[in-house]
Amino acid sequence: MILLHTPLFWAALTIASFIVGQQLYLRCGKPVFLPPILTSIVLMAICLEGTGTGYQTYMEGGRYLHDLLGPVIVMLAVPLYQQLHAMRAHWKRIALAISLGSGTTILCAWALSQWWLGDSLISTTLLTKSITTPVAVAVTSQLGGDPALASAFVIVTGILGAVMIVPILSLMGINQPHTQGLTLGICGHAIGTGRALELGPEASAYAAMAMTLTATLHALVIPLIAG
Amino acid sequence: MHGLLILLVFLLAGTWLQSFLGLPIPAAITGMLLLLAFLIFRGSIPESLQAITRTLSPWLPMFLVPVSVGIITHKQLLLDHGPLLLLILTISLIPGILVCGWIMGKEDASR
Repeated sequence: MILLHTPLFWAALTIASFIVGQQLYLRCGKPVFLPPILTSIVLMAICLEGTGTGYQTYMEGGRYLHDLLGPVIVMLAVPLYQQLHAMRAHWKRIALAISLGSGTTILCAWALSQWWLGDSLISTTLLTKSITTPVAVAVTSQLGGDPALASAFVIVTGILGAVMIVPILSLMGINQPHTQGLTLGICGHAIGTGRALELGPEASAYAAMAMTLTATLHALVIPLIAG
Repeated sequence: MHGLLILLVFLLAGTWLQSFLGLPIPAAITGMLLLLAFLIFRGSIPESLQAITRTLSPWLPMFLVPVSVGIITHKQLLLDHGPLLLLILTISLIPGILVCGWIMGKEDASR
């Protein structure tokens, strides 16, 4: 079929699948395990497998969207700027939590994968698991990891974080919104920040700030250490 | 459109600076930091940039779908190691959460 080889068709289908994902997410009451991007990826994977279309053929159209990632990443400076004021009060503690908290989780993932799998592509890619997806994709390409795997790790981490963080913190006797928000942003990036929105404005401001600062820190430090 | 132009100019500046200095940091991140520095220096966000951020933000994850669909080229890897990778991702989160909770929680207990 000629349509399957038309790049514009795949670009349009990608947008349509994301809209389906958004609608599904809204209709189901915004469950953390069903972010629109996940639905969209699964739908597109099914379409490609079903029609026997290769990833390279798909990417001729996917590229239209993919090439806009650069400007979209630059745009993240705007929310980061808006949230800088939220951290003035306890910036030392926040800086410590962001660097040690996110450092612990990626070191742990790296060590476990080296130990159990011994595959350097997977270990390298896992280093970017706490970075919000657009930045993780950029950093992992720089490191020689795999962008598609990075995206999968980041999305799964975000969903796990959104589910696990609040219960684990309350087991520690911690129920303050700013700690919940900060931890969600550090360990669960954008999906965790989505979860923090449900916990109120203080939690979401802290989560958004923690997410952007973690991404910035990791984007700067990981290439220097691993590269 | 002014907003988009601002983003492209900073991306271009980031790309240029990255290759000029040979930085190991991705060009888009360099561009983001340059834009952040510009915003801090300016002390406010230009209206056009504000507008494009509002429009594009809900759609941000959509731009990641094409690269993420690349996971279909890793079917074998997921079949071989999928459950183990899930376990690694789950276990590795726990110490991170404990460290964050511990650092931020100390102050909560004292107030």
